[in-house]
Amino acid sequence: MAFQVSVFLENKIGHLERITGVLREANINIRAMTLTHTTQGWGIFNLIVSNPAKAYESLTDRGLSATLRKVAVIEMEDTPGGLDDLLKKISSAGINFTNAYGRIVESGKLAYLAIDVEDIDHAFEKLSEAGLTLIPDDKVYGNGNH
Amino acid sequence: MTFWEQEIETLQRSGINKLQVEKLNKTIGIAMQSPYYSDLYSRLGISSGFIKNIEDVTKLPFTTKQDLRNNFPYGFLAVNQREVVRLHSSSGTTGNPTVVYHTVNDLKEWANLMARSLFTAGIRDTDVFQNMSGYGLFTGGLGFQYGIERLGALSIPSAAGNSLRQIKLMMDFGTTAAHAIPSYLTRLYEVFLEQGLDPKRDTKLHTLVIGAEPHSEEHRRRIEEMFGVKAYNSFGLSEMNGPGVGFECTYQSGLHIWEDAFIVEIVNPDTLEPVPDGEIGELVMTTLDRRAMPLIRYRTRDLTRFIPGECPCGRTHRRLDRISGRTDDMFIIKGCNVFPMQIEGVLMKIPEVGTDYLITLETINDNDEVIVEVEVKREWFSGDLIKLDKLTREIVHKIKDEILVSPTVKLVEPGSLPQSEGKAVRVIDKRKKI
Repeated sequence: MAFQVSVFLENKIGHLERITGVLREANINIRAMTLTHTTQGWGIFNLIVSNPAKAYESLTDRGLSATLRKVAVIEMEDTPGGLDDLLKKISSAGINFTNAYGRIVESGKLAYLAIDVEDIDHAFEKLSEAGLTLIPDDKVYGNGNH
Repeated sequence: MTFWEQEIETLQRSGINKLQVEKLNKTIGIAMQSPYYSDLYSRLGISSGFIKNIEDVTKLPFTTKQDLRNNFPYGFLAVNQREVVRLHSSSGTTGNPTVVYHTVNDLKEWANLMARSLFTAGIRDTDVFQNMSGYGLFTGGLGFQYGIERLGALSIPSAAGNSLRQIKLMMDFGTTAAHAIPSYLTRLYEVFLEQGLDPKRDTKLHTLVIGAEPHSEEHRRRIEEMFGVKAYNSFGLSEMNGPGVGFECTYQSGLHIWEDAFIVEIVNPDTLEPVPDGEIGELVMTTLDRRAMPLIRYRTRDLTRFIPGECPCGRTHRRLDRISGRTDDMFIIKGCNVFPMQIEGVLMKIPEVGTDYLITLETINDNDEVIVEVEVKREWFSGDLIKLDKLTREIVHKIKDEILVSPTVKLVEPGSLPQSEGKAVRVIDKRKKI
């Protein structure tokens, strides 16, 4: 199963670059990302990267609050209605997610959707029961063939 | 009639000193009924009659807040508990609270000082007085209540908060005078405007009493402008009963401190020697009328000075300037006394947050706010927004329970706050001195 890297950050000029700077130095490629923020002046930066373990280590070494968090990554068609088809399956499987973001793998053909769910292990079961397969980790991280 | 008790209020200095010496000797005798002073004074050879002239007061040892805490709950009680009819207490869940006990007569004396104070500010028995102050253990509620009743004015014990109801009471009963903390009055004014009302036109207010919170002369003038009233400064501290210790007269040039009820000294907080008249130092006070719990040479930690010269009102009791600061790290917000240690104590008990924190006091839309910045421990961070949000609310709730004021809590990145070693800056006061 795949991991995203989540980083706590204050909503201040320069704070996001500090994270991307660390990743650049560690030679880590960003595959997908999403940034959530609250009204209280802070947010969470979620990333799917080429090497999450190394990214986590580099970020925490620099004193940042980072964590590895399981996500479910599922494929969809990169065509009109592709996301809609996938969401219908996810909702009929009875899964509610708190955050989601995607990336195009092959334009016009294939895209991935990463979803963040509160009870992720249980959600994995439900997904496979609904006939949805999780993308193998190396493909999620963009290191396999695709 | 311009005085509540003309003879006492206009007593010449020699008369005041004579009265103070007499009362201080009596107070020493009473204090020695308490375990604390009995032990201390017998060791030092102090007894009733020890004071020959007023300068002798400096031969007595100081009493500190720590002494009160160390001797909690009854170490300072000088009468049989049967005679005690009320206590007032600070919240103090981090250390022992500061408790003051009163006999029936103590409450009578306090009510009289409060009535004298209100009279000094021009309030009369024909007034309708609305006390918008917290009732209960906080002394601003009951302290004012008994004083208004003693004065003979019609009291409306409306207590703190609920602005719409406050305004309705003012309009329904023709309130002419009121007491509140200054920051609340600016908020109340806004509610007046939101309701399409103008306090100058739509109320009968002529006097406001403000206190329990530091505020500038400009802030007072602004309140007077908003409400079309005279606003008078009130000074008190719970160890010295509460309100009614010092009050402005209609000349608004300093707070007359009632020297028939208290001996007032101002000392250098480092050397503890008296400072020359007019210089700023720490206020030290001795109660002269209290039976249940006399306090002798109590270090208030408040910094102020005597205003030199005579007051045109004719009162001979000296005037104190506004409190200009504290010798400890206590701050006052929305009428509540807060020590940073109280907030630290709350944070230490929450396992998810680090021990570094920063308190910022800031005026936002005319309201004084407490902003508490805390670090979330790295190992606890799970990337879950909902958990962090819940944590924020939990911290707000727990701090509010402790200090009685609802803070704004901001989670910050680890390492971004001053470290806990050494003398880190914990409180930054950015409040606008409007």
